[in-house]
Amino acid sequence: MPKHYRPPGKKKEGNAAKYITRSQAVKHLQVSLPLFRRLCILKGVFPREPKKKVKGNHHTYYHTKDIAFLQHEPLLEKFRNIRAYDKKVNKAKAKKNRDLAERLLTRRPNYTLDRLIRERYPKFTDALRDLDDCLTMVHLFASLPALESEKIQVKRIHNCRRLSHEWQAYICRTHKLRKTFISVKGIYYQAEVEGQKITWLTPHTLQQVLTDDVDFNVMLTFLEFYETLLAFVNFRLYHSINVKYPPILDSRLEALAADLYALSRYFAANSSATVLGSQAVSSSGAEQIDITKDGTQPDESELRLAQLQHQLPSNEPGTLMHLVEDASCEDEDDEETRECKTLFKNKKFFLSREVPRESLLFVIPAFGGVVSWEGEGAPFKEADQSITYQIVDRPTQGHIFLSREYVQPQWVFDCVNARIILPTDAYMVGRVPPPHLSPFIDNEAEGYVPEYAEMIKRLQAAARKEVLPIPGAGKEDLDDPQNLLVEGIISRTEANEVAERKQKMLALENQYHNELQLELQGVQYSSSVSNMNKQSSVEDTEAWEESLPNMQQIAEDTTTMSKVVMSRKKRRLYEAMQIGKERKRAHVNLLKERKQKIEAAQGSQKS
Amino acid sequence: MAKRETPRLDSLNKKKKEKEKKMDESSKHQQEENVGDKQLHQGFSGDEEELTESESDGPVLSEDEDYVSADGDDSLHNDPSEENEGGSSESHQGIEESDSSEDEVAPRNTIGDVPLEWYKDEEHVGYDISGKKIKKKVRQDKLDSFLASADDSKNWRKIYDEYNDEEVELTKRETRLIRRLLKGKAPHAEFDPYAPYVDWFKWDDAKHPLSNAPEPKRRFIPSKWESKKVVEYVRAIRKGLIKFDKPKEEPRVYHLWGDDSSSTEKAGHGLAYIPAPKSKLPGHEESYNPSLEYIPTQEEINSYQLMYEEDRPKFIPRRFLSLRSVPAYENAVKESFDRCLDLYLCPRARKKRINIDPESLKPKLPSRKDLKPYPVTCYLEYKGHKGAVMSIATEASGQWIASGSIDGSVRVWEVETGRCRRVWEIGEAVHYVAWNPLPGLHILAVSSGQDVLLLNTGLGNDEEQKNIEQLLRIETPGSMDDTGNTTSIVSWVQDDKHGGIRLKHFKTVSSVEWHRKGDYLSTVMPAGESRAILIHQLSKKLTQRIPFKLHGLPVSSIFHPTRSIFFISTKKNVRVYDLLKQKLVKKLETGLREVSSIAVHPAGDNVIVGSREGKLCWFDMDLSSQPYRILKCHPKDITNVAFHHSYPLFATCSDDCTAYVFHGMVYSDLNQNPLIVPLEILRGHSSTNGRGVMDCKFHPRQPWLFTAGADSVIKLYCH
Repeated sequence: MPKHYRPPGKKKEGNAAKYITRSQAVKHLQVSLPLFRRLCILKGVFPREPKKKVKGNHHTYYHTKDIAFLQHEPLLEKFRNIRAYDKKVNKAKAKKNRDLAERLLTRRPNYTLDRLIRERYPKFTDALRDLDDCLTMVHLFASLPALESEKIQVKRIHNCRRLSHEWQAYICRTHKLRKTFISVKGIYYQAEVEGQKITWLTPHTLQQVLTDDVDFNVMLTFLEFYETLLAFVNFRLYHSINVKYPPILDSRLEALAADLYALSRYFAANSSATVLGSQAVSSSGAEQIDITKDGTQPDESELRLAQLQHQLPSNEPGTLMHLVEDASCEDEDDEETRECKTLFKNKKFFLSREVPRESLLFVIPAFGGVVSWEGEGAPFKEADQSITYQIVDRPTQGHIFLSREYVQPQWVFDCVNARIILPTDAYMVGRVPPPHLSPFIDNEAEGYVPEYAEMIKRLQAAARKEVLPIPGAGKEDLDDPQNLLVEGIISRTEANEVAERKQKMLALENQYHNELQLELQGVQYSSSVSNMNKQSSVEDTEAWEESLPNMQQIAEDTTTMSKVVMSRKKRRLYEAMQIGKERKRAHVNLLKERKQKIEAAQGSQKS
Repeated sequence: MAKRETPRLDSLNKKKKEKEKKMDESSKHQQEENVGDKQLHQGFSGDEEELTESESDGPVLSEDEDYVSADGDDSLHNDPSEENEGGSSESHQGIEESDSSEDEVAPRNTIGDVPLEWYKDEEHVGYDISGKKIKKKVRQDKLDSFLASADDSKNWRKIYDEYNDEEVELTKRETRLIRRLLKGKAPHAEFDPYAPYVDWFKWDDAKHPLSNAPEPKRRFIPSKWESKKVVEYVRAIRKGLIKFDKPKEEPRVYHLWGDDSSSTEKAGHGLAYIPAPKSKLPGHEESYNPSLEYIPTQEEINSYQLMYEEDRPKFIPRRFLSLRSVPAYENAVKESFDRCLDLYLCPRARKKRINIDPESLKPKLPSRKDLKPYPVTCYLEYKGHKGAVMSIATEASGQWIASGSIDGSVRVWEVETGRCRRVWEIGEAVHYVAWNPLPGLHILAVSSGQDVLLLNTGLGNDEEQKNIEQLLRIETPGSMDDTGNTTSIVSWVQDDKHGGIRLKHFKTVSSVEWHRKGDYLSTVMPAGESRAILIHQLSKKLTQRIPFKLHGLPVSSIFHPTRSIFFISTKKNVRVYDLLKQKLVKKLETGLREVSSIAVHPAGDNVIVGSREGKLCWFDMDLSSQPYRILKCHPKDITNVAFHHSYPLFATCSDDCTAYVFHGMVYSDLNQNPLIVPLEILRGHSSTNGRGVMDCKFHPRQPWLFTAGADSVIKLYCH
């Protein structure tokens, strides 16, 4: 009996029973393909790779259990209901019965996704782990235009904006932001929440390019799930810091599109309100008592009131700072958060019109700075004398306050990544800033360290030393910016020394090897048969001389010999690894080559 | 019909009233208006008469209407005035009435509503009322008509009536009407479409009701069905099925992960959730302002175009000198969409990613220093041959080696000095040389072409020489005939030129191997088919076939070093025969494409087989018929393999001009597997005609290796 023959009564076994193709699944579920797609997206069901592809190589396979899982999903029934209902509406429309159609539309069956979220992410950390795509998508849609033709509604765009701002406000408030990177694609942020590293990309705040080779139905289905997920995640996070979740914002600031700032104000107001809750209620004026007398007053308005009360003092510069400090004293943070919190401490920033306000309003307070901007609703004006840095992105700066430094926005991002305050000379107005490097790359592992990364490392080392010898050295000379340079020089000389030592070691090693070789030859010579004639010995010495530069050959031989004894599987693996290494090395070599060329070109220009 | 009747009547009523009103108005204006208006008045009055008439008997009207709609063609043949009577629309009638100036003059042409093309080629346009042909008028030519129009100021009023074939001049009033029509107004200026409604019909004073039917009951009792519906709604409202003013529901957000501790259950369906891999984090090159070295030059960018689409880098780094000059990323939506597709369309499988140091893959081998001695470097070269040295053989004492070359010479060298002791010019390319393994018997077997020569090397003392000479003498040719059938295969002939015996074969002999006792030797003729392998007995000068069937082309054969076992390697497999019992002992399956050489370990239990694809198989005969180890050591053909007699060494030589020396330790303990360690790669030969090292042989006592190269040099490698 051939192996593939299955007698009529017998069930399928193995991969044939475990996996079905997509078209089989669609047929089995009795749904249309778009609906199946939608269900898969919402339920998080993905095709799996069977060990043996029974139906052929060009099919997608789903596990039968996954399909059964979809089949028992209440949402499936719900979608069927909705479809039937939509038919009703269409019928009414076709009969020109607009009343009926409108009335029917008001009672369209609705569905929620919260159960699915709980099902897909039984723990909160699971949800956080999968938040990368969610955040990227929500941030992308927050910057997309509403398109009627693609069914991208204004409401959803606004919801995305709101959710993204809420998320950013939380990260900013709890100082959980770790890395930032301005790329061509947008700005990457990395935060660490509950031990999970969450990276997301926000597009540059410009009119986005819409291409027509994109199926927005798929994206909107994803977005639907992501919106719900982010809302629940935000709720949970807000509750973890004792802030009421759907935040009520100052409508004035909201109108000025300073949502993030409004949110931060809300935080500030709320946290202090919770701390001082009872006190506020007792000490507030007669009007508040009137309100509480109303009895049925929901607590929202109370919060609102508290917020409004705090609005007055927080308008003054520094109050926000104060509040932030207050909050930070309360909770115990890990080392890194503390470091992040204090990076821009006691520094005041002012943003010019042309810099990307949203991202800087997010980044600077996340690292403990105070920030204002040019425009309405700003907490302090440009003329404020206490501003330490003004962030400018224009070719020339007309009026200059001498009390502050004018830097390009990249400086902030570089400082954040390096965790030190970098010298501002290179980032001055009108200059081409130094290269912006990715914080996500481990330079050592990559095998190539860009020049500026080395400089930053030196500065970091210098900064660390600055912290250490406080009791010994006087603080005043450490504050001196020139000291940094001195430190840099010291570390450089150190590095040189190390390099020299290394070279010496290498030379020694080489010598040792040579000696070893000599010894080997010597032994052979002495032990070789005594009646070996002169000619052969001469030849021998020649051969030895030849073999001297053949060190490389010997090394090669040892690798090939060890490869000979390996089993085939291991050898193939080893070779594959070698290929990967070789590719990496080629990339690094290419970079070095380019670098050399560029340096040569610059040298020739100078001379 | 009955259904339509009542509304129809109502509308007629209404219309009638409107018309009466208009009539009144028009009568007011009558004094000021000219004659045309009178006509209008007349039309209206006539209409009224008709309407009142139709009102009195509704059914009749409806019948009439039906008639009109059913066969409209007939009505068209009727007089237009007749048509007007059937018409129901008021405005239409008005216009018709206004055209009454034409209606009064009966149309001269009576053809009716037929396409005028029918009369195109005729001389007449139709018939008048008395049935006479109406002749076509002579048409003015265009120039004349243009001139006439230029002269005549009233020309613009003239319209050509195709039907009657005449020119009609419009009156002032008619033009005014047309103008108003063009503007979309009512044709008559005096007509007021928004006139207040006047109820002309006085119901109050009427003696008789409009309809004498008694008022139906349903008019004055509440509807049963309505009340039922109301009750239904009330119940639905009470039950809460119908809700009013549902507030717009905001998506409710709550503490979803309220108790994380209880939610330890896995995904519902028991399948492992495979999280999607996170997207790759950006490197330095994606920066808006990367270091200069990350930006490819223009040539490099151009060279990307030559690459395959898959290999082409998807992202080309760019540099912007300031943040404000960074544009929106054109692929943002596309990339996000691609990620979505990956998330829901890509099959996921758990893949073990091994993160190991590649060095750890290398097997742990004993240090090479501990395995000394072994041949390492070239000490001596034996030069003298003119062509590639095909084969070498070592003498049992290790003092001499013999070599055969493709130039047709066989040479005997002294090992330690490199001196050539003796040269035989065979005249034909020598393929193989083999030295008799007995120490006192200095006989060299040389295969060249179809012959095998047994040569006396002339070494050794007189007694030995005597013995050899006796052996290498064929007494009488008559004795040869005793061998019977073998004569046809091989003939033993005394070779006077070289002082030995010539065994004439019928095909080219590729290899010659001596039995350990030095009396027998086997020859292999790859093309010999069933008689491909022959065993010759030197003492009796006998030749016999092996009594086994050969499967495939034989490549080489070898005697077992201790027992009476014979190995024959064909291209695919190695067969092991017991010569005493005359049966197959074992079949070693190499799995190689083409076996080239074979060597047996001096203990006899292990065999190595070299192949043309550069692989070396080590067989442990006690273990299995499958190779214990396959080593892929050479990129080109392995030409020969050799075991050392006393040291645990073996070597392979190949056409890639290298020879490998291995440590091959075989333990007497059967549980312990042989230890194989590569020791050295010996180089030095150069390639000629694509051939490298042709043969390798170990020194019988010292750990030295002789290699014969295609570059006509023999090398000695010592430890």
